[in-house]
Amino acid sequence: MSSVIDVRELRKMFHVSEREEGLGATVRALVRRRYRDVPAVAGISFSIEPGEVVGFLGPNGAGKTTTLKALSGLLHPTGGEARVLGFVPWRRENEYLRQMTLLMGNRSQLVWDIPASDSFRVLQEIYKIPEDQYRRALDELVALLDLAPLLHKPVRSLSLGERMKVEFAAGLLHSPKVAFLDEPTIGLDVSMQARIRRFIAEHNRRTGATILLTSHYMADVVALCKRVIVIHHGVLLYDGDLAALASRMAPYKVIGVTLRDGSEADGLAAYGDIQSRDEARVTLHVPRDAAPERAARLVNDLGERLIDISVGDPAIEDVIDRVFTTEATS
Amino acid sequence: MIATYRTLLVAQFQQASQYRVSMFLYLLFSLIRPIIFLAAWTAVAAARGGSVGGFSAADFAGYYVCMALVLHFTTAWNAYEFEFEVAQGRLSPKLLRPLHPLHYSVVENITWKFFTAFGLVPALAFVAITFQARFETQWWNVALFVPSLLLAAAIRFFLGWIVATAAFWTTRVNAAVTLFDRIMFIFAGQIAPLALMPGILQSIAYVLPFGYIIGVPTDILRGGATLDQALLWMGGQVFWLIVSYAGLQLIWRAGVRQYSAVGA
Repeated sequence: MSSVIDVRELRKMFHVSEREEGLGATVRALVRRRYRDVPAVAGISFSIEPGEVVGFLGPNGAGKTTTLKALSGLLHPTGGEARVLGFVPWRRENEYLRQMTLLMGNRSQLVWDIPASDSFRVLQEIYKIPEDQYRRALDELVALLDLAPLLHKPVRSLSLGERMKVEFAAGLLHSPKVAFLDEPTIGLDVSMQARIRRFIAEHNRRTGATILLTSHYMADVVALCKRVIVIHHGVLLYDGDLAALASRMAPYKVIGVTLRDGSEADGLAAYGDIQSRDEARVTLHVPRDAAPERAARLVNDLGERLIDISVGDPAIEDVIDRVFTTEATS
Repeated sequence: MIATYRTLLVAQFQQASQYRVSMFLYLLFSLIRPIIFLAAWTAVAAARGGSVGGFSAADFAGYYVCMALVLHFTTAWNAYEFEFEVAQGRLSPKLLRPLHPLHYSVVENITWKFFTAFGLVPALAFVAITFQARFETQWWNVALFVPSLLLAAAIRFFLGWIVATAAFWTTRVNAAVTLFDRIMFIFAGQIAPLALMPGILQSIAYVLPFGYIIGVPTDILRGGATLDQALLWMGGQVFWLIVSYAGLQLIWRAGVRQYSAVGA
Protein backbone atom coordinates (compact mmCIF):
# COMPACT_ATOMS: atom_id res chain seq x y z
CA MET A 1 0.00 0.00 0.00
CA SER A 2 1.78 3.17 -1.17
CA SER A 3 -0.98 5.60 -0.16
CA VAL A 4 -0.25 7.84 2.77
CA ILE A 5 -3.90 7.83 3.83
CA ASP A 6 -6.06 4.84 3.14
CA VAL A 7 -9.66 4.78 4.37
CA ARG A 8 -12.05 1.88 3.90
CA GLU A 9 -15.74 2.05 4.81
CA LEU A 10 -15.07 4.35 7.75
CA ARG A 11 -18.12 4.78 9.98
CA LYS A 12 -18.78 6.80 13.12
CA MET A 13 -22.06 6.73 14.97
CA PHE A 14 -22.77 9.18 17.79
CA HIS A 15 -25.14 8.17 20.57
CA VAL A 16 -26.94 11.42 21.42
CA SER A 17 -29.74 12.19 23.83
CA GLU A 18 -32.65 14.22 22.55
CA ARG A 19 -35.85 15.69 23.88
CA GLU A 20 -38.71 17.95 22.91
CA GLU A 21 -38.59 21.60 23.88
CA GLY A 22 -40.31 22.96 26.98
CA LEU A 23 -40.34 22.43 30.72
CA GLY A 24 -42.44 19.24 30.68
CA ALA A 25 -40.07 17.54 28.30
CA THR A 26 -37.12 18.67 30.42
CA VAL A 27 -38.63 17.08 33.53
CA ARG A 28 -39.47 13.87 31.66
CA ALA A 29 -35.92 13.74 30.30
CA LEU A 30 -34.60 13.80 33.88
CA VAL A 31 -36.32 10.49 34.54
CA ARG A 32 -36.24 8.85 31.18
CA ARG A 33 -33.82 9.89 28.54
CA ARG A 34 -34.29 9.15 24.87
CA TYR A 35 -31.25 8.38 22.78
CA ARG A 36 -30.76 8.31 19.10
CA ASP A 37 -27.88 7.00 17.04
CA VAL A 38 -26.71 9.64 14.62
CA PRO A 39 -24.43 8.51 11.82
CA ALA A 40 -21.79 11.23 11.43
CA VAL A 41 -19.77 9.24 8.92
CA ALA A 42 -21.65 6.49 7.12
CA GLY A 43 -19.03 4.39 5.35
CA ILE A 44 -16.59 6.44 3.30
CA SER A 45 -13.55 5.17 1.40
CA PHE A 46 -10.72 7.05 -0.24
CA SER A 47 -6.96 7.08 -0.43
CA ILE A 48 -4.48 9.91 -0.69
CA GLU A 49 -1.01 9.72 -2.19
CA PRO A 50 2.16 11.29 -0.80
CA GLY A 51 2.39 15.06 -1.28
CA GLU A 52 -1.23 15.58 -2.33
CA VAL A 53 -3.23 18.55 -1.04
CA VAL A 54 -6.85 17.44 -0.92
CA GLY A 55 -9.86 19.59 -0.09
CA PHE A 56 -12.48 17.92 2.03
CA LEU A 57 -15.80 19.62 1.35
CA GLY A 58 -19.28 19.39 2.75
CA PRO A 59 -21.88 21.52 4.53
CA ASN A 60 -21.98 21.83 8.32
CA GLY A 61 -22.56 18.45 9.91
CA ALA A 62 -21.48 16.52 6.81
CA GLY A 63 -18.92 14.52 8.79
CA LYS A 64 -15.75 16.31 7.68
CA THR A 65 -14.39 17.12 11.12
CA THR A 66 -15.41 13.72 12.48
CA THR A 67 -13.40 12.09 9.69
CA LEU A 68 -10.39 14.29 10.40
CA LYS A 69 -10.64 13.49 14.10
CA ALA A 70 -10.75 9.78 13.37
CA LEU A 71 -7.81 9.98 10.97
CA SER A 72 -5.73 11.98 13.42
CA GLY A 73 -6.52 9.49 16.18
CA LEU A 74 -8.82 11.51 18.42
CA LEU A 75 -11.91 9.42 17.75
CA HIS A 76 -12.45 5.68 17.66
CA PRO A 77 -14.67 4.93 14.68
CA THR A 78 -17.69 2.67 14.96
CA GLY A 79 -16.61 0.63 11.96
CA GLY A 80 -14.33 0.44 8.96
CA GLU A 81 -10.60 0.75 8.67
CA ALA A 82 -8.04 3.45 8.19
CA ARG A 83 -4.28 3.56 7.87
CA VAL A 84 -2.28 6.75 7.90
CA LEU A 85 1.44 6.34 7.19
CA GLY A 86 0.79 2.65 7.80
CA PHE A 87 -0.53 3.25 11.36
CA VAL A 88 -4.02 2.70 12.72
CA PRO A 89 -4.56 6.30 13.86
CA TRP A 90 -6.75 5.72 16.93
CA ARG A 91 -4.10 3.54 18.52
CA ARG A 92 -2.23 6.81 18.88
CA GLU A 93 1.21 5.25 18.85
CA ASN A 94 3.89 7.84 19.59
CA GLU A 95 5.67 6.97 16.36
CA TYR A 96 2.51 8.00 14.48
CA LEU A 97 1.82 11.14 16.53
CA ARG A 98 5.35 12.40 15.84
CA GLN A 99 4.64 12.33 12.11
CA MET A 100 1.26 13.99 11.85
CA THR A 101 -0.57 17.09 12.99
CA LEU A 102 -4.19 18.15 13.35
CA LEU A 103 -4.72 21.89 13.25
CA MET A 104 -8.19 22.97 14.23
CA GLY A 105 -9.16 26.59 13.72
CA ASN A 106 -8.29 28.55 16.81
CA ARG A 107 -7.75 25.66 19.22
CA SER A 108 -4.81 26.26 21.47
CA GLN A 109 -1.65 24.17 21.22
CA LEU A 110 0.26 26.78 23.15
CA VAL A 111 0.62 27.72 26.78
CA TRP A 112 -1.17 31.04 27.21
CA ASP A 113 0.96 32.62 29.85
CA ILE A 114 4.39 32.22 28.34
CA PRO A 115 5.88 33.43 25.05
CA ALA A 116 5.47 31.21 22.01
CA SER A 117 9.23 30.68 21.80
CA ASP A 118 9.10 28.92 25.18
CA SER A 119 6.10 26.83 24.12
CA PHE A 120 8.05 25.85 20.99
CA ARG A 121 10.92 24.59 23.16
CA VAL A 122 8.44 22.44 25.10
CA LEU A 123 7.13 21.01 21.82
CA GLN A 124 10.68 20.39 20.62
CA GLU A 125 11.24 18.26 23.70
CA ILE A 126 7.89 16.45 23.50
CA TYR A 127 8.39 15.60 19.84
CA LYS A 128 12.12 14.91 20.35
CA ILE A 129 13.11 17.20 17.48
CA PRO A 130 16.90 17.31 17.07
CA GLU A 131 18.32 20.83 17.56
CA ASP A 132 19.46 21.36 13.94
CA GLN A 133 16.12 20.18 12.54
CA TYR A 134 14.29 22.35 15.06
CA ARG A 135 16.28 25.45 14.07
CA ARG A 136 15.71 24.77 10.40
CA ALA A 137 11.96 24.27 10.82
CA LEU A 138 11.63 27.29 13.10
CA ASP A 139 13.61 29.58 10.77
CA GLU A 140 11.46 28.49 7.85
CA LEU A 141 8.22 29.02 9.75
CA VAL A 142 9.35 32.39 11.09
CA ALA A 143 10.22 33.53 7.58
CA LEU A 144 7.07 32.20 5.90
CA LEU A 145 4.67 33.45 8.54
CA ASP A 146 6.57 36.57 9.58
CA LEU A 147 6.65 35.45 13.19
CA ALA A 148 9.75 37.25 14.43
CA PRO A 149 7.88 40.08 16.22
CA LEU A 150 5.49 37.61 17.90
CA LEU A 151 7.78 34.97 19.33
CA HIS A 152 8.66 36.67 22.58
CA LYS A 153 5.25 38.01 23.61
CA PRO A 154 3.01 35.95 25.93
CA VAL A 155 0.54 34.10 23.73
CA ARG A 156 -2.45 35.59 25.57
CA SER A 157 -1.45 39.09 24.43
CA LEU A 158 -1.52 38.20 20.71
CA SER A 159 -4.43 39.08 18.43
CA LEU A 160 -6.52 36.27 16.91
CA GLY A 161 -4.70 36.42 13.59
CA GLU A 162 -1.30 36.53 15.25
CA ARG A 163 -2.19 33.62 17.48
CA MET A 164 -3.39 31.58 14.51
CA LYS A 165 -0.06 32.09 12.81
CA VAL A 166 1.82 31.02 15.91
CA GLU A 167 -0.52 28.03 16.33
CA PHE A 168 0.26 27.03 12.78
CA ALA A 169 3.94 27.14 13.48
CA ALA A 170 3.45 25.13 16.69
CA GLY A 171 1.56 22.45 14.78
CA LEU A 172 4.19 22.17 12.08
CA LEU A 173 7.42 22.50 14.07
CA HIS A 174 7.94 18.75 14.03
CA SER A 175 7.70 18.73 10.21
CA PRO A 176 4.79 16.30 10.05
CA LYS A 177 4.46 14.10 6.99
CA VAL A 178 0.67 14.36 7.19
CA ALA A 179 -1.28 17.47 8.15
CA PHE A 180 -5.02 17.57 8.80
CA LEU A 181 -6.20 21.17 8.64
CA ASP A 182 -9.71 21.88 9.86
CA GLU A 183 -10.87 25.33 8.76
CA PRO A 184 -7.37 26.79 8.80
CA THR A 185 -8.48 30.31 7.86
CA ILE A 186 -11.67 30.59 9.88
CA GLY A 187 -12.19 33.98 11.52
CA LEU A 188 -9.26 35.64 9.75
CA ASP A 189 -9.36 38.78 7.63
CA VAL A 190 -8.95 38.50 3.87
CA SER A 191 -5.24 39.33 3.74
CA MET A 192 -4.42 36.93 6.58
CA GLN A 193 -6.43 34.21 4.82
CA ALA A 194 -4.39 34.78 1.68
CA ARG A 195 -1.19 34.65 3.68
CA ILE A 196 -2.09 31.36 5.38
CA ARG A 197 -3.05 29.95 1.97
CA ARG A 198 0.28 30.92 0.47
CA PHE A 199 1.98 29.47 3.48
CA ILE A 200 0.22 26.10 3.18
CA ALA A 201 1.05 25.89 -0.53
CA GLU A 202 4.68 26.81 0.10
CA HIS A 203 4.99 24.40 3.01
CA ASN A 204 3.60 21.58 0.89
CA ARG A 205 6.02 22.41 -1.92
CA ARG A 206 9.03 22.56 0.38
CA THR A 207 8.37 19.57 2.61
CA GLY A 208 6.22 17.34 0.43
CA ALA A 209 3.77 16.93 3.31
CA THR A 210 0.43 15.35 2.51
CA ILE A 211 -2.41 17.70 3.42
CA LEU A 212 -6.12 17.07 3.89
CA LEU A 213 -8.01 20.27 4.61
CA THR A 214 -11.57 21.35 5.21
CA SER A 215 -12.74 24.87 4.62
CA HIS A 216 -15.93 26.78 4.09
CA TYR A 217 -13.99 29.31 2.08
CA MET A 218 -13.93 28.08 -1.49
CA ALA A 219 -11.01 30.43 -2.14
CA ASP A 220 -8.90 28.20 0.14
CA VAL A 221 -9.87 25.14 -1.83
CA VAL A 222 -9.42 26.71 -5.25
CA ALA A 223 -6.02 28.08 -4.30
CA LEU A 224 -4.67 24.90 -2.73
CA CYS A 225 -6.40 21.76 -3.92
CA LYS A 226 -6.31 20.04 -7.28
CA ARG A 227 -8.39 17.28 -5.84
CA VAL A 228 -11.50 17.46 -3.69
CA ILE A 229 -13.52 14.95 -1.77
CA VAL A 230 -17.13 15.97 -1.22
CA ILE A 231 -19.19 14.39 1.55
CA HIS A 232 -22.72 15.00 2.71
CA HIS A 233 -24.64 13.27 5.52
CA GLY A 234 -21.54 11.16 6.07
CA VAL A 235 -21.59 9.75 2.54
CA LEU A 236 -19.00 10.37 -0.15
CA LEU A 237 -20.51 12.19 -3.13
CA TYR A 238 -17.49 13.03 -5.21
CA ASP A 239 -13.77 12.29 -5.23
CA GLY A 240 -11.72 13.73 -8.07
CA ASP A 241 -10.31 16.81 -9.77
CA LEU A 242 -11.66 20.11 -8.61
CA ALA A 243 -11.75 21.19 -12.25
CA ALA A 244 -13.98 18.24 -13.16
CA LEU A 245 -16.31 18.79 -10.20
CA ALA A 246 -18.39 21.33 -12.12
CA SER A 247 -18.86 19.11 -15.16
CA ARG A 248 -19.73 16.12 -13.00
CA MET A 249 -21.97 17.78 -10.47
CA ALA A 250 -23.50 20.66 -12.45
CA PRO A 251 -24.86 19.57 -15.83
CA TYR A 252 -25.06 23.15 -17.09
CA LYS A 253 -22.88 26.03 -18.23
CA VAL A 254 -23.38 29.68 -17.57
CA ILE A 255 -23.82 32.09 -20.47
CA GLY A 256 -23.61 35.79 -19.64
CA VAL A 257 -25.09 38.21 -22.17
CA THR A 258 -24.80 42.01 -22.10
CA LEU A 259 -27.37 43.82 -24.23
CA ARG A 260 -27.40 47.30 -25.66
CA ASP A 261 -29.51 49.77 -23.60
CA GLY A 262 -33.24 49.44 -24.10
CA SER A 263 -33.03 46.00 -25.72
CA GLU A 264 -35.78 43.56 -24.83
CA ALA A 265 -34.52 40.43 -22.97
CA ASP A 266 -37.77 38.47 -22.89
CA GLY A 267 -36.93 36.41 -25.94
CA LEU A 268 -33.79 35.06 -24.25
CA ALA A 269 -35.79 32.44 -22.32
CA ALA A 270 -35.81 30.41 -25.51
CA TYR A 271 -32.04 29.90 -25.24
CA GLY A 272 -31.84 28.74 -21.61
CA ASP A 273 -33.05 29.30 -18.03
CA ILE A 274 -32.75 32.95 -17.10
CA GLN A 275 -31.09 33.00 -13.68
CA SER A 276 -30.72 36.73 -13.19
CA ARG A 277 -31.16 40.04 -14.91
CA ASP A 278 -29.20 43.06 -13.80
CA GLU A 279 -29.94 46.03 -16.04
CA ALA A 280 -28.49 45.03 -19.41
CA ARG A 281 -26.68 41.89 -18.11
CA VAL A 282 -28.56 38.57 -18.33
CA THR A 283 -27.30 35.25 -16.96
CA LEU A 284 -28.54 31.99 -18.47
CA HIS A 285 -28.06 28.34 -17.51
CA VAL A 286 -27.88 26.07 -20.54
CA PRO A 287 -27.32 22.30 -20.80
CA ARG A 288 -23.56 21.62 -20.88
CA ASP A 289 -23.59 19.85 -24.27
CA ALA A 290 -25.71 22.50 -25.89
CA ALA A 291 -23.63 25.47 -24.68
CA PRO A 292 -21.53 26.11 -27.85
CA GLU A 293 -24.53 25.87 -30.16
CA ARG A 294 -26.69 28.17 -27.94
CA ALA A 295 -23.89 30.71 -27.66
CA ALA A 296 -23.44 30.75 -31.45
CA ARG A 297 -27.18 31.17 -31.95
CA LEU A 298 -27.27 34.03 -29.44
CA VAL A 299 -24.48 35.86 -31.27
CA ASN A 300 -26.22 35.26 -34.56
CA ASP A 301 -29.77 36.11 -33.46
CA LEU A 302 -28.99 39.14 -31.27
CA GLY A 303 -26.72 40.73 -33.87
CA GLU A 304 -26.28 44.45 -33.20
CA ARG A 305 -28.14 44.27 -29.87
CA LEU A 306 -25.28 42.21 -28.27
CA ILE A 307 -22.40 44.02 -26.58
CA ASP A 308 -20.70 41.11 -24.82
CA ILE A 309 -21.11 37.36 -24.31
CA SER A 310 -19.27 34.90 -22.01
CA VAL A 311 -19.49 31.11 -21.58
CA GLY A 312 -18.15 29.38 -18.50
CA ASP A 313 -18.54 26.88 -15.68
CA PRO A 314 -20.67 27.86 -12.74
CA ALA A 315 -18.79 29.26 -9.72
CA ILE A 316 -17.54 26.44 -7.52
CA GLU A 317 -19.67 27.71 -4.61
CA ASP A 318 -22.75 27.36 -6.78
CA VAL A 319 -21.79 23.82 -7.79
CA ILE A 320 -21.28 22.79 -4.20
CA ASP A 321 -24.48 24.51 -3.13
CA ARG A 322 -26.35 22.73 -5.90
CA VAL A 323 -24.93 19.36 -4.85
CA PHE A 324 -25.95 19.86 -1.26
CA THR A 325 -29.40 21.26 -1.90
CA THR A 326 -30.16 18.54 -4.45
CA GLU A 327 -29.05 15.89 -1.98
CA ALA A 328 -31.03 17.48 0.81
CA THR A 329 -34.26 17.44 -1.16
CA SER A 330 -33.80 14.03 -2.80
CA MET B 1 11.63 11.39 30.06
CA ILE B 2 13.85 13.27 32.52
CA ALA B 3 14.70 15.84 29.83
CA THR B 4 10.99 16.20 28.99
CA TYR B 5 10.15 16.78 32.63
CA ARG B 6 12.94 19.31 32.99
CA THR B 7 11.62 21.30 30.00
CA LEU B 8 8.01 21.08 31.15
CA LEU B 9 9.04 22.17 34.65
CA VAL B 10 10.86 25.23 33.31
CA ALA B 11 7.79 26.25 31.26
CA GLN B 12 5.50 25.63 34.23
CA PHE B 13 7.76 27.65 36.53
CA GLN B 14 7.59 30.57 34.12
CA GLN B 15 3.83 30.26 34.04
CA ALA B 16 3.31 29.82 37.78
CA SER B 17 5.59 32.73 38.68
CA GLN B 18 3.04 35.09 37.12
CA TYR B 19 0.26 34.13 39.53
CA ARG B 20 1.51 35.05 42.97
CA VAL B 21 -1.91 35.99 44.34
CA SER B 22 -3.37 32.71 43.23
CA MET B 23 -0.50 30.87 44.93
CA PHE B 24 -1.09 32.78 48.14
CA LEU B 25 -4.76 31.72 48.07
CA TYR B 26 -3.77 28.08 47.54
CA LEU B 27 -1.52 28.43 50.54
CA LEU B 28 -4.41 29.71 52.65
CA PHE B 29 -6.52 26.81 51.40
CA SER B 30 -3.92 24.35 52.68
CA LEU B 31 -3.86 26.02 56.08
CA ILE B 32 -7.41 27.01 56.90
CA ARG B 33 -9.05 23.63 57.37
CA PRO B 34 -6.40 22.08 59.62
CA ILE B 35 -6.25 25.22 61.77
CA ILE B 36 -10.03 25.28 62.24
CA PHE B 37 -10.02 21.65 63.38
CA LEU B 38 -6.97 22.23 65.52
CA ALA B 39 -8.73 25.12 67.29
CA ALA B 40 -11.87 23.01 67.78
CA TRP B 41 -10.02 19.99 69.21
CA THR B 42 -7.91 22.22 71.45
CA ALA B 43 -11.12 23.60 72.92
CA VAL B 44 -12.59 20.10 73.35
CA ALA B 45 -9.42 18.84 75.02
CA ALA B 46 -9.46 21.79 77.41
CA ALA B 47 -13.12 21.15 78.27
CA ARG B 48 -12.40 17.44 78.91
CA GLY B 49 -9.66 18.20 81.42
CA GLY B 50 -6.73 18.35 79.03
CA SER B 51 -7.04 15.38 76.67
CA VAL B 52 -9.37 13.43 74.37
CA GLY B 53 -8.69 9.74 73.78
CA GLY B 54 -5.06 10.18 74.80
CA PHE B 55 -4.58 13.27 72.61
CA SER B 56 -3.56 16.39 74.52
CA ALA B 57 -3.92 19.86 73.00
CA ALA B 58 -0.19 19.70 72.14
CA ASP B 59 -0.72 16.31 70.42
CA PHE B 60 -3.57 17.75 68.37
CA ALA B 61 -1.36 20.67 67.40
CA GLY B 62 1.40 18.25 66.32
CA TYR B 63 -1.12 16.18 64.39
CA TYR B 64 -2.72 19.08 62.54
CA VAL B 65 0.57 20.80 61.73
CA CYS B 66 1.81 17.54 60.18
CA MET B 67 -1.55 17.06 58.51
CA ALA B 68 -1.48 20.51 56.92
CA LEU B 69 1.89 19.65 55.45
CA VAL B 70 0.63 16.29 54.15
CA LEU B 71 -2.59 17.84 52.84
CA HIS B 72 -0.58 20.41 50.95
CA PHE B 73 1.77 17.94 49.31
CA THR B 74 -0.89 15.38 48.44
CA THR B 75 -3.59 17.67 47.09
CA ALA B 76 -4.61 17.18 43.45
CA TRP B 77 -6.97 19.50 41.62
CA ASN B 78 -6.62 17.99 38.17
CA ALA B 79 -10.16 16.57 38.16
CA TYR B 80 -11.65 20.08 38.21
CA GLU B 81 -9.46 21.11 35.30
CA PHE B 82 -10.07 17.95 33.37
CA GLU B 83 -13.78 18.68 33.01
CA PHE B 84 -12.93 22.10 31.64
CA GLU B 85 -10.36 20.65 29.26
CA VAL B 86 -12.79 18.05 27.92
CA ALA B 87 -15.69 20.51 27.57
CA GLN B 88 -13.57 23.20 25.90
CA GLY B 89 -11.78 20.77 23.60
CA ARG B 90 -8.43 21.58 25.16
CA LEU B 91 -7.73 17.95 25.83
CA SER B 92 -7.66 17.12 22.12
CA PRO B 93 -4.32 18.76 21.25
CA LYS B 94 -2.78 17.10 24.28
CA LEU B 95 -4.09 13.69 23.27
CA LEU B 96 -2.46 14.07 19.88
CA ARG B 97 1.03 14.70 21.21
CA PRO B 98 3.44 11.87 21.88
CA LEU B 99 3.21 12.41 25.64
CA HIS B 100 0.41 11.20 27.91
CA PRO B 101 -1.73 14.15 29.15
CA LEU B 102 -1.16 12.97 32.72
CA HIS B 103 2.43 14.24 32.63
CA TYR B 104 1.35 17.87 32.22
CA SER B 105 -0.71 17.56 35.39
CA VAL B 106 2.16 15.95 37.28
CA VAL B 107 4.43 18.84 36.35
CA GLU B 108 1.82 21.46 37.20
CA ASN B 109 1.18 19.74 40.50
CA ILE B 110 4.87 19.62 41.43
CA THR B 111 5.43 23.25 40.45
CA TRP B 112 2.56 24.70 42.48
CA LYS B 113 3.44 22.65 45.53
CA PHE B 114 7.06 23.69 45.27
CA PHE B 115 6.25 27.40 45.05
CA THR B 116 3.64 27.42 47.79
CA ALA B 117 5.81 25.32 50.13
CA PHE B 118 8.04 28.38 50.65
CA GLY B 119 5.18 30.14 52.38
CA LEU B 120 3.68 27.08 54.01
CA VAL B 121 6.66 25.85 56.01
CA PRO B 122 7.22 29.09 57.97
CA ALA B 123 3.46 29.46 58.48
CA LEU B 124 3.26 25.95 59.94
CA ALA B 125 6.30 26.61 62.14
CA PHE B 126 4.45 29.63 63.50
CA VAL B 127 1.32 27.55 64.19
CA ALA B 128 3.42 24.83 65.85
CA ILE B 129 5.04 27.34 68.20
CA THR B 130 1.78 29.18 68.94
CA PHE B 131 -0.11 25.99 69.83
CA GLN B 132 2.94 24.42 71.53
CA ALA B 133 2.75 21.40 69.28
CA ARG B 134 4.31 18.16 70.45
CA PHE B 135 6.04 15.81 68.02
CA GLU B 136 7.45 12.40 68.90
CA THR B 137 9.35 12.18 65.65
CA GLN B 138 12.45 9.98 65.52
CA TRP B 139 14.96 9.58 62.70
CA TRP B 140 13.08 6.63 61.18
CA ASN B 141 9.88 8.66 61.12
CA VAL B 142 11.47 11.19 58.81
CA ALA B 143 13.09 8.43 56.72
CA LEU B 144 9.72 6.69 56.23
CA PHE B 145 7.75 9.89 55.90
CA VAL B 146 9.31 10.88 52.58
CA PRO B 147 8.39 7.69 50.67
CA SER B 148 5.06 7.55 52.49
CA LEU B 149 4.27 11.11 51.38
CA LEU B 150 5.25 10.31 47.78
CA LEU B 151 3.06 7.19 47.81
CA ALA B 152 0.19 9.21 49.27
CA ALA B 153 0.54 11.95 46.64
CA ALA B 154 0.64 9.37 43.85
CA ILE B 155 -2.49 7.54 45.15
CA ARG B 156 -4.37 10.84 45.48
CA PHE B 157 -3.26 11.86 42.01
CA PHE B 158 -4.32 8.59 40.35
CA LEU B 159 -7.66 8.54 42.20
CA GLY B 160 -8.25 12.15 41.14
CA TRP B 161 -7.64 11.15 37.54
CA ILE B 162 -9.98 8.17 37.83
CA VAL B 163 -12.78 10.47 39.00
CA ALA B 164 -11.86 13.03 36.35
CA THR B 165 -11.98 10.42 33.61
CA ALA B 166 -15.72 10.18 34.17
CA ALA B 167 -15.78 13.36 32.06
CA PHE B 168 -15.22 11.16 29.01
CA TRP B 169 -18.72 9.84 29.55
CA THR B 170 -20.58 12.67 31.19
CA THR B 171 -18.53 15.78 30.25
CA ARG B 172 -19.51 17.24 33.65
CA VAL B 173 -17.72 15.76 36.63
CA ASN B 174 -17.80 18.47 39.27
CA ALA B 175 -20.55 16.73 41.24
CA ALA B 176 -18.58 13.48 41.30
CA VAL B 177 -15.41 15.31 42.24
CA THR B 178 -17.12 17.15 45.07
CA LEU B 179 -18.61 13.90 46.38
CA PHE B 180 -15.16 12.30 46.23
CA ASP B 181 -13.67 15.22 48.17
CA ARG B 182 -16.36 15.02 50.86
CA ILE B 183 -15.90 11.27 51.36
CA MET B 184 -12.18 11.83 51.52
CA PHE B 185 -12.71 14.61 54.03
CA ILE B 186 -14.55 12.24 56.35
CA PHE B 187 -12.35 9.16 56.03
CA ALA B 188 -8.88 10.62 55.49
CA GLY B 189 -8.30 11.78 59.06
CA GLN B 190 -9.07 15.45 58.56
CA ILE B 191 -12.02 15.83 60.93
CA ALA B 192 -10.25 13.80 63.58
CA PRO B 193 -7.14 11.62 63.76
CA LEU B 194 -8.01 8.10 62.54
CA ALA B 195 -7.21 6.74 66.03
CA LEU B 196 -10.03 8.84 67.49
CA MET B 197 -12.70 7.80 65.02
CA PRO B 198 -15.55 5.69 66.43
CA GLY B 199 -15.05 1.90 65.94
CA ILE B 200 -16.93 1.16 62.74
CA LEU B 201 -15.85 4.37 61.02
CA GLN B 202 -12.24 3.64 61.90
CA SER B 203 -12.51 0.16 60.40
CA ILE B 204 -14.01 1.60 57.22
CA ALA B 205 -11.29 4.26 57.12
CA TYR B 206 -8.54 1.64 57.17
CA VAL B 207 -10.17 -0.26 54.31
CA LEU B 208 -10.71 2.78 52.08
CA PRO B 209 -7.75 4.49 50.40
CA PHE B 210 -8.29 7.94 51.92
CA GLY B 211 -6.60 7.33 55.26
CA TYR B 212 -3.51 6.18 53.41
CA ILE B 213 -3.37 9.55 51.69
CA ILE B 214 -3.63 11.86 54.73
CA GLY B 215 -3.82 10.07 58.08
CA VAL B 216 -1.00 7.58 57.53
CA PRO B 217 1.79 9.96 56.45
CA THR B 218 0.63 12.42 59.11
CA ASP B 219 0.95 9.85 61.90
CA ILE B 220 4.26 8.59 60.53
CA LEU B 221 5.71 12.12 60.56
CA ARG B 222 4.52 13.15 64.01
CA GLY B 223 5.64 9.87 65.57
CA GLY B 224 2.14 8.59 66.20
CA ALA B 225 2.86 4.99 65.22
CA THR B 226 5.28 2.18 66.02
CA LEU B 227 7.75 1.13 63.32
CA ASP B 228 5.81 -2.09 62.66
CA GLN B 229 2.56 -0.17 62.38
CA ALA B 230 4.13 2.35 60.02
CA LEU B 231 5.52 -0.37 57.76
CA LEU B 232 2.14 -2.12 57.70
CA TRP B 233 0.43 1.14 56.72
CA MET B 234 2.98 1.70 53.99
CA GLY B 235 2.19 -1.79 52.71
CA GLY B 236 -1.42 -0.55 52.48
CA GLN B 237 -0.20 2.48 50.55
CA VAL B 238 1.66 0.29 48.06
CA PHE B 239 -1.52 -1.80 47.65
CA TRP B 240 -3.61 1.30 46.92
CA LEU B 241 -0.97 2.67 44.60
CA ILE B 242 -1.11 -0.49 42.50
CA VAL B 243 -4.92 -0.59 42.57
CA SER B 244 -5.33 3.08 41.66
CA TYR B 245 -2.71 2.92 38.91
CA ALA B 246 -4.21 -0.22 37.37
CA GLY B 247 -7.71 1.25 37.74
CA LEU B 248 -6.65 4.41 35.96
CA GLN B 249 -5.09 2.44 33.11
CA LEU B 250 -8.31 0.49 32.58
CA ILE B 251 -10.70 3.40 32.87
CA TRP B 252 -8.49 5.67 30.74
CA ARG B 253 -8.40 3.15 27.91
CA ALA B 254 -12.16 2.76 28.00
CA GLY B 255 -12.61 6.54 28.31
CA VAL B 256 -10.58 7.57 25.28
CA ARG B 257 -12.57 5.12 23.19
CA GLN B 258 -15.65 6.92 24.40
CA TYR B 259 -14.20 10.40 23.92
CA SER B 260 -16.20 12.37 21.42
CA ALA B 261 -13.84 15.35 21.26
CA VAL B 262 -16.70 17.80 21.79
CA GLY B 263 -15.93 21.44 21.26
CA ALA B 264 -12.75 20.55 19.44
